[in-house]
Amino acid sequence: MSIEVKGVSKRFGDFVALDDVNVSLPTGQLTALLGPSGGGKSTLLRIIAGLDSADTGTVTIAGTEATHLPPQKRNVGFVFQHYAVFKHMTVAKNVAFGLEIRKRPKAEIAAKVDELLRLVHLSQFAHRLPSQLSGGQRQRMALARALAVEPTVLLLDEPFGALDAKVRKELREWLRRLHDEVHVTTVFVTHDQEEAMEVADEIVVINEGRVEQVGTPDELYDEPANDFVMGFLGDTTVLNGVRLRPHDVHLSRAPELAGAAEGVISRLLRVGFEVRATVLTDDGEEVHVVLTRTHARQLELREGDRVWVTPASGAASVPPMVATAG
Amino acid sequence: MTTAPVAVDSRPARKRRSASSSRRSGTALTPASGLGLGVSMIWFSLLVLIPLSAIVVKASGGGWSTYEAVLTSENTRAALQLTVVSALLITLVNMVMGTIIAWVLVRDRFHGKAILDLVIDIPFAMPTIVAGLVLLSLYGPQSPIGVQVNGTRWSVLLAMAFVTLPFVVRTVQPVLEELDTDVEDAAASLGSSRFTTFRRVVLPALVPAIFAGAALAFARGISEYGALVLISGNLPRKTEVVSVRLFSFLEGGNTEAAAAVATIMLFVALLAIVALDMIQRRVARRG
Repeated sequence: MSIEVKGVSKRFGDFVALDDVNVSLPTGQLTALLGPSGGGKSTLLRIIAGLDSADTGTVTIAGTEATHLPPQKRNVGFVFQHYAVFKHMTVAKNVAFGLEIRKRPKAEIAAKVDELLRLVHLSQFAHRLPSQLSGGQRQRMALARALAVEPTVLLLDEPFGALDAKVRKELREWLRRLHDEVHVTTVFVTHDQEEAMEVADEIVVINEGRVEQVGTPDELYDEPANDFVMGFLGDTTVLNGVRLRPHDVHLSRAPELAGAAEGVISRLLRVGFEVRATVLTDDGEEVHVVLTRTHARQLELREGDRVWVTPASGAASVPPMVATAG
Repeated sequence: MTTAPVAVDSRPARKRRSASSSRRSGTALTPASGLGLGVSMIWFSLLVLIPLSAIVVKASGGGWSTYEAVLTSENTRAALQLTVVSALLITLVNMVMGTIIAWVLVRDRFHGKAILDLVIDIPFAMPTIVAGLVLLSLYGPQSPIGVQVNGTRWSVLLAMAFVTLPFVVRTVQPVLEELDTDVEDAAASLGSSRFTTFRRVVLPALVPAIFAGAALAFARGISEYGALVLISGNLPRKTEVVSVRLFSFLEGGNTEAAAAVATIMLFVALLAIVALDMIQRRVARRG
C-alpha cells in the first residue's frame, strides 16, 4: 500500500474535521476523495502532504513513517485549487523550481522542464508569465511543476474546482490519460461525484470527518453502503419503502410484474433526452421515475394516466423481484 | 453603388490614422474624465509645479555663481552629505525592519497586535516637533535611561528612523495580506526550506511595495526638520542637516542660496526616486 492513514483525527477548535480515519491507498492508482464541502477530505489530503498535522494517528507514505516529517521531506507533489503559481516566474521557471531547489545540473533541469511542458501541452508558453495563461493552462503548469520532482504520490486538492464546466470536463479526461501515461500514485479531492466516477479507479467517500465507504465507482454505485453514499452518488426515490434510483424504476401501463404499485402520473417533465415522471401511488408514495424520451413516447404517457411502477430487475439496493408472465 | 467606393476610399485613411494615433486613441477622454484630469492638473500645479518652478527660477536668478558659492561652502556640503547619507542608511534599515514588522503584524498572532498595528502610525501622525521633544527628553542631556545622543550624528539617524518607521510597514502590509499562503505551501512541498521560500517566492512579491515604501521613507528622511532640530544640536559640519542649513540661510536673508540648496535637494530626491524605481524593476525581474 502506497499511502497508509491510521486513526487520524483532527480538530479545529470545536469543529471535528476528521474523526479516526483509516484509509489505505494503493500504489499506482488514481483515487478520489469524494464528499460534500466541509466533510474533511481536503484536511485529510493536507495531512498526507504534511501541510497540516494530525492531532492523533499516523501517516505512512511508501513504507516510510511520515507522520512527523515536514512537507519538504515527504516527496509529494501537491496541486492546489487556485493553482498557487509563482507569479513572478515564467512557466518554465515555475516547473524548474523543485529541481533548482534540489540543485540538479542546469542541462538536466532544462531537459526535464522541456519534457514536462510537452507532456502538459505548454511547450509554446515556456517563456510566458502565469498571468498570461488561462485557468486550465495554469493548472496544467501547476501539475507539471508538481511532477517535476518525481513525487512518490501526487495530491490534487479540488484541482478543477475553479474552472468552468467545459474546461473541467476536458481536463479530467486529460488527467485520466496522463495518469495512464505517468502511473504515479494519485489522490484527488472532489465534491463532484461525476468527476470522481469518471476519473478514479477507487473512490473514498468522506462525510463529516468519517469514511463512509471505499470502493470502485461501480461498487459504490451498485452497492452503496448506506443512504448517504447512495444519495450522494446520484438521485434517489422511494418505492415500497425502499430507496432506489429513479431510472431503476420500471413503469408500465398494465400490471405486468407482481408487487407493482398502482398510481397516477402527477407530473411529466421533459429535459433533453430524458423524461422525468412523478407518480403518486395509491399507497400515498411520491415516486420519481426517469425514462428515455423514446421509451416515454412508446408508452404515450400523459399527465393523469394510470400506471404501475416497480423496481426494475437488477436495480441497486433492492432484492430482485420475481417476474410473472407478462 | 455609391457607398461601396466611399467605403473603399475611407479604409486606407482610417488605417493610417489608427496607425499614427493608436496610442492616443486608447486614451481618448470622455467629457467626465477630461474634467477630472483638468481638476487634478490645476490642483497639482497650484500645489506642486508652480512653487517648485518658482524655487528653480529664484535660484537661477542668482546665476551659476550662487550654486558655486553654495557648493564650495564647506558647511553646506557637509550638511548635504550628512543628510543624504543618513537618509540612505535609514532607508536601508527601514527596508529590513519595516518588512519584518509588517510580517509580524500580518502573519503572527499575539496579544496586543491590534494596538501595535495602531501605534505604528504615531510617528507619522504626530507633529514632528513633538517627536523632537519626545526624543530629546528620552535621549537628551537629562536622559532617564542614561542614553545621551544629543549633539551626535546618532541623533540624526535616530530622529530620521523615528519619523520614517511607518512607510515601509504600511506599503508592505497590504501586499502581504493579499499574498496567498498556498504559494508558500506549494514551495514547501516542492522541497524548498522556509528561508528559500521567503527569498525566492515571498520576497519578489514584496519588492515593489518595499521599494515604494523606501522611496517615501527616503524623501521624508532628507526633508526632516522638526524631529531633528532639537536633538541634533545643529552643529555645522557635524550634525547640521540640509533643512536646518536652509532655514539659517533664510534667517540670514540669503534667499538665493536657500533656493539653490532647495534645488539641489529637489534633484537629489528626484534621483533617489528614479534610482529606487530602477532597482525595484531589476530585482522584480530577476526573481
